[in-house]
Parts: sequence; structure tokens; C-alpha cells
Amino acid sequence: MRELWSKLRRTLTGRRAVTEDLAEEIESNLALETEDNIAKGMRPDDARAASRRHFGNATLTRERAQDAWRFLSLETFLQDVRYGWRGLRKSPAYSLIIILTLALGIGANTAIFSVVNSVLLKPLPYPGSERLVELGESHAKAEGISVTWGNFRAWQKYNHSFEDMAARQMDHFTLTGRGEPLFTSAALVTNGFFRLVGTKPLLGRVFTEEEDRFGATRTAVLAHSFWLTKLGGDVNVLGTTLALNGQPYRVVGVLPPDLQFFPRSVDYYLPMGLFRRDSTPRTQHGSIRALARLKPGVTLAAARNDLDGIMRRLAKEDPGTENDHRAYGVFLSDTKTASIRPTLWLLMGAVGLILLIACSNVANLVLARSAARSREIAIRTAIGAGRKRLIRQVLTENLLVAGIGGALGLAIAYWSLRALLFLAPRGIPRLPEIGLDLRVLLFTAGLTIVTGLLVAFAPILTVGKIDLSSALNSGGRSGTDTRRERSFRNALVVAEITITLVLAFSSGLLLRSLIAAQNTNPGFVAERLLDLEVVLPASSYKNQQAVQNFYDRLLQGLSMLPGAKEVGAVNCPPSAGSCGDWWYSVLDGPIPAQSDVPLSLFNLADPQYFQTMGIPVREGRGFTTADRKGAPLVAVVNEVLARRWWPKESAVGHSIKVGGPYMPGPTFEIVGVVGNVTQEGLDSKPMPEIYRPFAQDASEGMAVMIRTSGDPKLLAPGVRRVVASLDGNLPIQSLRSFENVMGATLARRRFSTLLLGIFAGLALILSAVGVYGLLNYWVTAREEEIAIRMALGARRSTILSWAGMQASRLIVIGIVLGMAAGWGASHWLKSVVFGISARDPLMMIAAALVVILIAAITAAIPLSRATRVDAARKLQRA
Amino acid sequence: MSTVDDLSERLEFLQGTLEVLILRSLQMGPNHAYGISQFIERFSENEFLVDNGSLYPAMQRLVQRDWITSQWKTSPNSRRAKYYRLTPLGRKQLVAATSRWERFVEAMGRVLATRG
Repeated sequence: MRELWSKLRRTLTGRRAVTEDLAEEIESNLALETEDNIAKGMRPDDARAASRRHFGNATLTRERAQDAWRFLSLETFLQDVRYGWRGLRKSPAYSLIIILTLALGIGANTAIFSVVNSVLLKPLPYPGSERLVELGESHAKAEGISVTWGNFRAWQKYNHSFEDMAARQMDHFTLTGRGEPLFTSAALVTNGFFRLVGTKPLLGRVFTEEEDRFGATRTAVLAHSFWLTKLGGDVNVLGTTLALNGQPYRVVGVLPPDLQFFPRSVDYYLPMGLFRRDSTPRTQHGSIRALARLKPGVTLAAARNDLDGIMRRLAKEDPGTENDHRAYGVFLSDTKTASIRPTLWLLMGAVGLILLIACSNVANLVLARSAARSREIAIRTAIGAGRKRLIRQVLTENLLVAGIGGALGLAIAYWSLRALLFLAPRGIPRLPEIGLDLRVLLFTAGLTIVTGLLVAFAPILTVGKIDLSSALNSGGRSGTDTRRERSFRNALVVAEITITLVLAFSSGLLLRSLIAAQNTNPGFVAERLLDLEVVLPASSYKNQQAVQNFYDRLLQGLSMLPGAKEVGAVNCPPSAGSCGDWWYSVLDGPIPAQSDVPLSLFNLADPQYFQTMGIPVREGRGFTTADRKGAPLVAVVNEVLARRWWPKESAVGHSIKVGGPYMPGPTFEIVGVVGNVTQEGLDSKPMPEIYRPFAQDASEGMAVMIRTSGDPKLLAPGVRRVVASLDGNLPIQSLRSFENVMGATLARRRFSTLLLGIFAGLALILSAVGVYGLLNYWVTAREEEIAIRMALGARRSTILSWAGMQASRLIVIGIVLGMAAGWGASHWLKSVVFGISARDPLMMIAAALVVILIAAITAAIPLSRATRVDAARKLQRA
Repeated sequence: MSTVDDLSERLEFLQGTLEVLILRSLQMGPNHAYGISQFIERFSENEFLVDNGSLYPAMQRLVQRDWITSQWKTSPNSRRAKYYRLTPLGRKQLVAATSRWERFVEAMGRVLATRG
């Protein structure tokens, strides 16, 4: 350390001083010895000569002493860097191609890695986030359903595995008394929630355990954005009240802006305990999810065992229909990213392959150049450069190139991330957090070094294997195209074609999937459809009749609007996602085991709904106004459900029971079968679905679908007027044209298809450059041979087929390998392919044809050059 | 007077010994490089030959470690020369090195003197 420091100091003060000082010191010591010799009786001349002889080589001594002051390895390195830099500047086109190629490869990897990093790898921003788990219930048919309030309270009380536990549930309230009535979203949480997500209120406090009980004073904690935009950021908001569904809630706190736990925006948090009596039955489910933090060292499996023990005990003490329910737990970090994970790894794999193509392109260029530089290397070897020294230089040069490429790649990544964020569909968790953080920078640095080493690998193999005399005699022409090097270069191009085909095939599969999904018949006519959604507050619509009456008048009012052709109401409109499934059974079918009771989506529709939507009635009838309260209970099922039980006969006339054979529930007679409607995304499988008449079981939240004769947007003001005229305090939850809604369900698929398409295109361009470079080099190295052949009478067509054979051999091998690799890789694509097989032979052939076509076009340029070699001129020069 | 010719008959320096000898020679008082080489050759009874190509780099290393410092001075016969002097750190190093050497020599001697 001390040595290094004094060296550094001396380096800064200048090396010349050291040299002069040493020379003077040696001179003075020689003079001292000469004097001694004279004192011993020698003549001055002899004395000087003797002292010089005795001293030895003064210059060498000085140099060696001086060397003690140098950073030898650093200086060699800097020398190599300078040398490499000179080499790059000498052939700018070559350098530019190499650096750009590497920058593209490294940039694409950096960009996708930073997405993977922030979405999949970075810990969630909550304390002890790696121990946070989502809890729910499971039984033999379904995993991770909601936990009941009773079970949650028991878990909270008796578990030994968790530090903290909180329940949560989304709900909606109508805010009145502050201007227009507002439809607002609430998160009902137990008070442990704030501890679990580690948030401290910006103003005031969060609600206490005492306030989180049934019958306690009503309190609310505001989300930052709601406080800022809806309440004007008023600092005196604490202590004021919010009227929610007609009940006053006292504001006790405001949260800081950065809490992003719920996928949808939350306006305020209310104590869940206010809404639940502890005496609610243990089987009453209500969309409650639980969040909990494991104690350090406790595994998830052990914790589930602990909760299962509680569930078994409860089954004995408080038996019911759900005695077989067990605890379900999954790490929060997994639940947040499960749906996007396969796509991200797919993209990461794709950019990794692109970097491989970029590396082999660059390796090929470097190899070609090092062959051209063999004379220079031979000269350096001849004047004493060791093999180690040459290898070091090659490494330094390539790392330099990779380093420049890496730096440029970072810039590319920075800009492409902005584009990515702009294009990305909403709903990818944590995407806004994306950035080039330390981990990404380390990844890029590591990648750059690995890239440099990969690229340097080929020329290092050839260093020291140069035949000095032939290299020096050949006059600097690239005469060292050894067999080994040639096959290495060919292998690189074959690998490029292989990888490109895999990428082209994958991207083709995704494109076909997207098209298939877009062409999926959604089961209804989406054009010129306006969707109005309102939720009636229970405080003003106290019973089913009131709800019923409101919707009757609303539908009537809307159908009077000019431009409205038909109006129908449904509880769960298409693409709204699953609005809840439940067990059912078929009365005349075999009785299923308790663990085999089938599930179906349940929905409510009014008599006009199927007609309005254009959903075809396949058998029987739709609902009529006669299907009202007091009339026989009826249901309409979709085709999936009908075909499952009655593949040969009509489903009409059969009966189904809600809840299955092991649970109480009403029985309905099937009166009709309608076409399937995609209830989730266009690329999801249709589920069994049961419609019941709205008139027999009203719901406060209905979607009213209006078929318009013109542009649906023109009708919007009229719709608002009708709603306001019926209930001035009722907020409109959403009013949108349906045309784009179905397409939006494919946003994520479209995004990943676009990205993979870009990557496949990039791969195509890079490997086209690779094929071009290799063949061009091949032709250049053989110009003389071609000239001789032509002089001996070979025709252009002979030359063309000779060179063409060379090219097509590589392409064919690459295509065959690529087909095999693509076939194997399709296994990992299954989860993202829709509508076609992941092993679609047509797609494979199409991808192969595209790659062959591109390769053939790029090969044509050097091939045509081969036929235009001027034999006479070439031979004269040789 | 020693010459380079009888190199083969002299002892070669073991790794690190030259540095210890330089430190030891400076224990007698400040000296210049020529004086140090004279000292080593005289007190080793000409068994060691000091090669300047090793001596000068070794001295630079000792300076870098702050074990010795140098200063231009005028010699008794009024000649300018660069004089080296032990630093406190160098003195400590010499004590440690000396005891290591004594143990080393003793142990070598014991092993080599073993009979049988």
C-alpha cells in the first residue's frame, strides 16, 4: 500500500526527475570508486576504467532501478489500449460496424434485462417483502379462493408462523356532499395492513385496532392522490367527515403518495372490522384476501401446515359445509408477476440469442482482419513479442471494442426503454419503476466483458500459430486462411442462421397467435355498442324491488333516446373478466364426488340482453318478461356447458342446481342455450356460463348495453341526462364505446408480439450481414483462384455454381439445425401460443423460407462479384 | 579487488537477503550506494558480490516502502553523493528480519548437522 502510494506520488511528480536523479547518483558513486582506486595507487585513467568495469552496465542498472517506479502492467495495458484505439481509427468503417453490432446486442439485452430486473428480480418495496405471502383458502376443486372473515380471525389469533397478518377487500362507495356525487373506490383493510406494507401517514394517523371493530366510530384514511385531486390537498382535512353511501366517516389520516399495492387505484382505506360481525358464519365468503409476513426462518409450507391445523380444529368445533377447506399461501412476489413471467423470459432468451449472433458476426470480422494482419503479427513475433504478450494485446483490443459497444449499448437501452414504456400495455406490475440501476449497470458491464472475451476467442486461437516465413513472404496479403479457421468461420455463420430461424419461427408463432386471437369471434357484435355501468348504493336502494324499478325505468328511458336501437342489461359484460364462479350440478346427471363438483360462471341478464348484443340463441328461448319473481326459476346456459352434459341432445328442459349437491341452493330449469361469449380476454378459453333472469335476482351493479344506429359516442350526453333525471345523486361508473374494449384485452399479447417481431427482424439483419461478410471474404481470398480458373476456360456459370455451392451448403445446414432447434424450443412457447399448435409445420416452413430468401439475397452480391473477376488484370498483377 | 570474473565462486543472494543487508549496513550510519556495496563485500569477507543491477532497484524498493530515505550530501572528501539513512520503520523491519534470519540459520544448521 505504502509502496503503491509513493509510486503514485512519484508518477505525478514526473518520471524524468527519477531518471536524472539516478544517473547523477550512479555518476557520483563511480567517481567515489575512482577516487578509492587512485588512492590505492592506480593512474587516473586506469582507475576510471576499473571502476566502470566493476560497476557493470550502468545504463541497464539505471533502467532497472527506474522500473521499480513503474506500474508495469498498467503501462502495458495503456499501451495496448492506445494501440487498439489507433487500429480502430485506422479502419473506421470496420470499427463502426463492429461497435454498432455489439452496441445493438448489448443494448437490447440491457433494455430487456432492466425490465426483468424491475418486474421480476427487484424485491417489492415493502419491509421484509421476501417473507410476504398472500393467503386464501383451498379445497379440492379450486386453489386460492377468498378467505372468510371467521377463518381469517381464527388464523390471526391462533397462528404461530406469522409476524403480522391483515385482510383486505376492494369495495365501492358513493361520495356525496362534496359537489357532484362521486363513484369512489375503497380498500377495506384491517389495521395491520399499514404495518405490512410499511407505510406511515403523511398527515394524522392510521386507524387503530379499536376503530377496526364492528360498531366502532367510522374512520377513513385517505390515499394521497384522492386527497390531492378530489379534496384539493387541504391540510385541514383531518377531523372532517366524508359521506360515503350516506354514512359519515371521520378522516384521521392521509397516506404518502408512493403506496402502490392494489392493482386499481384506491381513493381511501376503511377499517374492515366496521363491516364484519365476528359472528358471521365461517362459510360466508366475500372476496377477502389476506396478506401476512412470515416470521424469519419459517417456511411457507410450515406456515400452511400451521394454518391447516387451525382449519382442522375449526372443522371440529364449528362444523359446516366447508370442513374440507384448507389454507392456501403463495409468496406475494410470485402472485404479482406470475402472468408476465413467461413472456419476459421469452424476450430475455430472444435478446440473448441476438447477442450471440452479434458476437459471431463480430468474431468473423475480427478473424478476417486478424488474417489480414498476420504479417504485422508475424513482424511483432519476429522482433520478440511473446505469445502471451500477443494474446494480451488481442484481449485488450477486443475488450476495448466491446467496452465502446457496451457504453453505446447503454445509451441505446436508455432510449429504447423510454419507447418501451410508451408502448407497453397498462397492468404490467412495477413497469414504471424501470430504470438503469446499479444491478443493470453491473449486468451490462459483465455482459460487455463476456462479449469481449467471446469475440477475442477466435483470434486468440490463431495467435502464435502463424507460419512466420510464409506470412512475411506473402507480402501482406491474406494468405493464411487455414482450414481450421475456415471451418470455424463457417460454423459461426451456420449458428447465426440456426438462431435466426428459431427467432423467426417463434415470432411467427406469436404473430399467428395474435391474428388468431384477434379473429376470434367474441360471440357478440361489438360494433356500435355503448356500455353504461352504474352501481346503486345500498343506502338509497334498500331492496331488490327498488333496484329492479330503477333499472326498468333506466332501460325504458334509454330506449327512448334517438339513435338507440336496442337496450339490454347484464351483470357481467364480456371482457369484464370473471365476475365470480360457483359450483353447480346437473340434476339428471351422475352425482359428482365432493371434490369433483363442477364450476361455472354465473351471470344475470334481462330479456333484451341477448338480442341487443347479437348473441345467438341456439336452442329454446332467451328470457322474457314472464320470467319474473314468483314465476318458475329458469336459466339460459352457454354452449360449452350444454355440450359438456348433453353432447347429443338439447339441454332445454333439463335442470341444474346452484351450489352442487353438497350445498344449499336453488334449482333452475334450462330454457335456452346461447352462443359462447368471451368473458375474459379474446385469447382465453371459453368457460361454462349460466345466465339467470335479472328479474328473479336483481343486482345493484348492472352494465347497460345500448346498440346505437350511429357513432355510440354521440349518444353519451343523452345517456348522462337520462341517468341524472332518474337519480341526481348517482355517479356513472363508466360509459364507454365497446368497440375497442375487446381489442384492449389483447394489448399485452400485441406488445410481446411486437417486441419479438423486432428482435427477429434484428436477428435477420445481423445474420444477413454475417452471410454477406463471410461470402465476401471467401470471394476476396479466392480472386486469384477464380482468375486462374477463368483463364483456363471456366465459364461464369461454373464459377457461380462453385461459389453458390459454398453458400448454399452453409444455409442448408443452418436451416436444418434451426428447424430442429425451433422444434425443440416450441416446448417453451406453448404457454404463449394461442389458436395454433406450437409445432405448426406451416409456420416452420414459412420461417425457413423467409430466412432462406434473406440469406440468398445477401449472398447474391458477393456471388455476382465472383463472376465479374477480371481474370487478365488479376493475373497480371500476381 | 573483486572483479566480475570470479562471480561463480561467490555466494548468490537468497530472495530478500540483499534488502536485509542494505538495512544492516545503514545501521552503522548514513551511507551512499557505493559505500553500502563496499560494506557488504567487506563484512561478508568477499563471499557476497554485490551486483549493481540488483542493488539499485532494491534500494528504490526500500525507499518506496519508507524503510530508508535519501538525501544529497557532500562526502568527507568534498564530493557530492546521495546518502541513505534508516527510517524508524526500517529500523523495526531490520530487527524483525535479523531475528528471522537467526532462527533460519540455526534451524538450517541443526537439520544439516543431524547425523544418521
